[in-house]
Amino acid sequence: MVPLNFCTFEADRSSTDTAFGVLLIGLGMVIGIAIGTIVHRIVSSGQGLGSLTSEQHSAGTFKGTFIPFALLAPTLIILALFLYLPAVDNLRLSTLLARLGTDRTAFVCVDNFTKLLEPRQNYGQTLYATFLIAFFTVVLGLVLSLLIAYVAYQPVRGASIYRTLLIWPYAISPPVAGIIFSLVFNPSSGIMNHLIRTAGGTPVEWLQNASIAPWTIIVASVWKSMGFNILFYIAGLQNVPMDLVEAAAIDGANFVQRFRRVIIPMLSPITFFLIITNITYAFFDTYGTIDFLTSGGPAGATSTMIYRIVDNGLRKFDLGTAAAQSLVLFSIVILITLIQFRTSGRRVTYGK
Amino acid sequence: MSRRSMLLAALAVIMALVAFVPAMAQDKIEIQVWIAFGGARLEWAQGVAAEFNELFPQYEVVVVGDRSYEEVLSASSLAFEQGTQPAIIHFFEAGTQNARDAGFEGNPQFKSVAEAFGDRTEVNGLPVDFDNFVDAVRNYYTLDGTFTSFPWNTSSAIMFNNKTMLDAAGVESVPTTWAEVDAACEKIMAMENAPANCITWPNYGWFFEQAVAMQGTDLVNNGNGREARATETYLNSDAGIAYLEWWKDLENKGYYVYTGVQRDWNGTYNLFIQQQVAMLIYSSSDTSNATNAGRDAGFEVVASFYPHNQDVEYVGNLIGGGTLWLSNGLSTEVEDGALTFLLYLTNAENDASWHKLTGYVPVTKAGIALLEAEGWYEENPNSLVASAQLDGSAQTVATAGAIFGNFPAIRDILTTAIEEVLVNDRDVTEALNEAKELADESLAEYNFLYVTE
Repeated sequence: MVPLNFCTFEADRSSTDTAFGVLLIGLGMVIGIAIGTIVHRIVSSGQGLGSLTSEQHSAGTFKGTFIPFALLAPTLIILALFLYLPAVDNLRLSTLLARLGTDRTAFVCVDNFTKLLEPRQNYGQTLYATFLIAFFTVVLGLVLSLLIAYVAYQPVRGASIYRTLLIWPYAISPPVAGIIFSLVFNPSSGIMNHLIRTAGGTPVEWLQNASIAPWTIIVASVWKSMGFNILFYIAGLQNVPMDLVEAAAIDGANFVQRFRRVIIPMLSPITFFLIITNITYAFFDTYGTIDFLTSGGPAGATSTMIYRIVDNGLRKFDLGTAAAQSLVLFSIVILITLIQFRTSGRRVTYGK
Repeated sequence: MSRRSMLLAALAVIMALVAFVPAMAQDKIEIQVWIAFGGARLEWAQGVAAEFNELFPQYEVVVVGDRSYEEVLSASSLAFEQGTQPAIIHFFEAGTQNARDAGFEGNPQFKSVAEAFGDRTEVNGLPVDFDNFVDAVRNYYTLDGTFTSFPWNTSSAIMFNNKTMLDAAGVESVPTTWAEVDAACEKIMAMENAPANCITWPNYGWFFEQAVAMQGTDLVNNGNGREARATETYLNSDAGIAYLEWWKDLENKGYYVYTGVQRDWNGTYNLFIQQQVAMLIYSSSDTSNATNAGRDAGFEVVASFYPHNQDVEYVGNLIGGGTLWLSNGLSTEVEDGALTFLLYLTNAENDASWHKLTGYVPVTKAGIALLEAEGWYEENPNSLVASAQLDGSAQTVATAGAIFGNFPAIRDILTTAIEEVLVNDRDVTEALNEAKELADESLAEYNFLYVTE
């Protein structure tokens, strides 16, 4: 609330602004209580920062705080300079009418946020597109990757070659993936429609149809993230103890049962990690693919939150709106990650 | 040699290099030029810079290419903040007001080139002659009576026709009006081996702006933003509605095909080259490419004027493209070097060679005269079309082109509204009314920042 200075309660503000202000105060209180609790725990335990971790002190612990912080300093300084400071500045920026290329600004309170609620801003559609693309990118990406990794993990001749080839998509940058897929899905001259036409079918409007275009993006994103996922799943599979699988086999578990009851639970730490990284990927890193494939179209069907942020900030030079939208996106991703840790995070087996 | 002495020798060589290289570079005045082109266009500019550096050994012009105008501007404003700005920045016509306003209180990012040239009639032996620029260019870029930026790549919207296909369909002459396009499409789509669709062009606000100007209508108030800062847009003008209705109707009849992607220059161009459409409305900047690609694919490409509304008197077309902006706060030597390079880049030979490479219209009368003398236009009639179209345009405020703040963003609002009409079948008037509202707010926000006095 500090940068806002309670401007949402000024007389000429709309009721939406007031409600938003109340929400922010509530949020501030929750954060304040959380910080207070943590500080209280640190102070009252007398153990310093060590009390935050449940691990017991072992022989390798630093005495005092100077040396560990000195060792952490390079990382902390870089984080502070390039991550935390800009993030705080972003908060200030989100309350301004600000443009790239000038230092002229004007304070607009929470207008950049409440503006998003206007129907003509189509932000609902943006949220829908974001969640649709993110959800299926993560789910399809992980399921397919696990299946492929499991197959590639089987002892077959030349397995290492297959595995290397499978990891390749990861090495390709998102815009390049976008270009590859625009060659594949181009409605008139693309490979896909050429194949369909050759087989006697009707060409599909991969990019022009508002209900098909998001799926084209999903396919491209899944393909792009697959290499990374497969890499981790193969590594994970190598750590699944074979005696466990064999024991299950001896007990009469068939292939599907072994996969469901032994392999998947043993892979849960990897899956948990991959869900988090894939969510981040689906929300933030799909920009390049979208930009090259659909430019957010048709009619906003693939205009995701990150796409709109870049579009507002760098194409339209509207920094304030972009900053506000990036805060919204940031909060959503934080929220999803928290829910993740609270729910499936608890079901993760680390084999201890 | 022992290992140690070898190391010492290597160290000495490195030290010598480190000491020597800057010393050599210091003899030359470095002039950074950032342009929004890559590929052949960037190579061409770098080639001109190399020639320039040989002719004027006191200068070292370095041309750096970027992906888009927006990226050039954002990179250069950051550089300006840090005091390491390039001497020359390339920016597009829609960004003119943005560039004029760019910078900080009392310290604008760019300097008017007219002011920098002052009363000089030559810089380093190269003549300064603003009257040499063709009318359409002068008309667009003259603000407050002078040039603020230096014209370079200038285009107009024209139409490419697959003449081979038009002939096969029995269309006798290339369509010049909207109604003629409709009639031609009817014939083409009735052919036995008709293409998938008849016509396409990129969904980009620029084509709308052109169509409105052609009907003699302004895009914004205050004399298209030329008499005073514009405060209101006319996106929902009758001219605009008529144009979009025609466009929508073409799509409904299956004549026009939308690629589904905004600003899809590549997709629409490919449809034309692959003969999936018979006509393509496009920027003249690719006249050479399209003509050659058509020939390679076995059909004849004929360029023609952008079709106009037959119900309204045709007024004229406006230009598109980019200009070169001179950074503010350069040292006199660097500024003079930059001005010299600007003059060199647009001398008759370079103007003509740039036109031949791309299809951007020659910006100088000398360039056109040279091309005529060489017989270029007789051999390449398509290349004359954009120049002829601009030449035949009445020089009014409408055809001079609109100047206003937040133009790139408002162009996107327009592009989005058009997409709503094409994809979601939205009512044309309703979509344009809403676009006008959004655009006016966007413009008001912009003006609010700059008109604080």
